Amino acid sequence: MSARALFAAIVLLLLVSAPGAAPTQGQTPRVVEITAERFEFWPSEITVAEGEAVELRIRSDDTMHGFRIVGAGTNVLVPKRGKGYAVARFTGSRPGRYTFECNRMCGAGHNFMRGVLVVGAAGADAP
Amino acid sequence: MNSAHQKLWFLLPAIVAVLAPSPAAAQETDQGYPATGPISGYMDFHFNKADGENGVLDFHRFVLILNHGFSPRLRFVGELELEHAFVEGLEEGGELELEQAYIDFLLSRAMNVRAGMLLMPVGIINERHEPPVFNGVERPFVDTVIVPSTWFDVGAGVHGELGAGWRYRAYVVAPLNALEFTAEEGIRGGRQKGSEANVRNVAYTARVEYRGIRALTLGASMWAGEGSFVAPRLDTGVTVGEFDARFRRNRLELRWQFAQVEIADAVRLNDVLSRTSGVSPNIARTLRGFYSEAAYRLWNAGPPRDLVAFARYENFDTQFRMPEGLVPLKQFDRDAWVTGVTYYPDPDIAVKADYVYLRNRSGLFPNRHLVNLGLGWWF
Ligand SMILES: [Cu+2]
Repeated sequence: MSARALFAAIVLLLLVSAPGAAPTQGQTPRVVEITAERFEFWPSEITVAEGEAVELRIRSDDTMHGFRIVGAGTNVLVPKRGKGYAVARFTGSRPGRYTFECNRMCGAGHNFMRGVLVVGAAGADAP
Repeated sequence: MNSAHQKLWFLLPAIVAVLAPSPAAAQETDQGYPATGPISGYMDFHFNKADGENGVLDFHRFVLILNHGFSPRLRFVGELELEHAFVEGLEEGGELELEQAYIDFLLSRAMNVRAGMLLMPVGIINERHEPPVFNGVERPFVDTVIVPSTWFDVGAGVHGELGAGWRYRAYVVAPLNALEFTAEEGIRGGRQKGSEANVRNVAYTARVEYRGIRALTLGASMWAGEGSFVAPRLDTGVTVGEFDARFRRNRLELRWQFAQVEIADAVRLNDVLSRTSGVSPNIARTLRGFYSEAAYRLWNAGPPRDLVAFARYENFDTQFRMPEGLVPLKQFDRDAWVTGVTYYPDPDIAVKADYVYLRNRSGLFPNRHLVNLGLGWWF
């Protein structure tokens, strides 16, 4: 193997294994299970590494809820208990704190139903 | 009764206006689903039968919940409740109540501001009272005569999540009217319900919840304030302390709650009330109650095969400690066994049946056996 070929192979290897590399198309996202019930999400705080892709599976333990990530364009309905789960994909492309909330009126404490996705060593709230 | 009817007629146009579809409510999410229905709510229909008495059919609650987002951070929620001809702790007559109507200013995760008609953040049931979320046709006795649910009044305050599973709410609210306290139902009659509430004094209420462990919720609540509006200045201080725990895992759900009410200067309160009415109201200085409940999902396959069996023991005494010179009325030192089932043909519909054995410590009053059937739904 020539020195040039070896160098190219090493560079390729480094690129592939480098942490924080942009997720490739075929990469399977990490699955995070979330339970929704009046009036909370569990867990309500989810940490995502910068650049990491996650698949959020939200399952209700009672009525129909909503799941909206503020400012991320994600907005799904969470089916009632026993009727499957909602899927929301999220990629932590920029460090920050992303609020998620129930977006379907579910009772007296509906506005309490919120949580946060923390991307990286995030400090300030994401816009 | 008369005044209740007058109130109802007065509010009828408002209800019609609210039921009419409003263009503001037709916002849609990214997915094309309605972001929030223009209207939701719950209904509760009961049949109660005590031994030796005729059965009672009662459309206990008809509640409409409205919500509107002025902007993602500025939201309105309203809850209008029609309670009809209910017999609960021997209280009778219909009521139309505005249980919640507030604006939430969502500022950050840790701190948000809420103002308007608020639910007191005390106990498991008061803020979480939709029929499919609790077992038993009627709400627990402790959540009726010790924590007077549905307990709401005008006020303002803050709420938020502190991270690591902690969340809180703290409000300044209108106080109770001590002149309406009773021996049998404690502070229940004293709720001003935001109806031109007298705020010569204000009350403070707060709750902290811990949700850091999967399946477990721990809560502690307090309420403290002075309230009484009689000519001789009599500011009766009332303090409510409450602890609760809820655990659910797979088929099992456990609930536990303890609540205690302290009425300061109960001697003077009794004195003033007996001088005005001629009868001693026999109001206690301490009221106490607790309950434990275990529920198990017998069928767990999802609707329509969801069936829960439960048993609850409640102990509640509205004459727990008496002020000097008064003797406790032992018929108000009570306990109850409540057992029954909840069947869910849909997660939002609860068909309930239970049996209640209600005992008291007085030899003069018989213990009671009650059978209750209920149909409640959320939409
Ligand atoms: Cu919800």
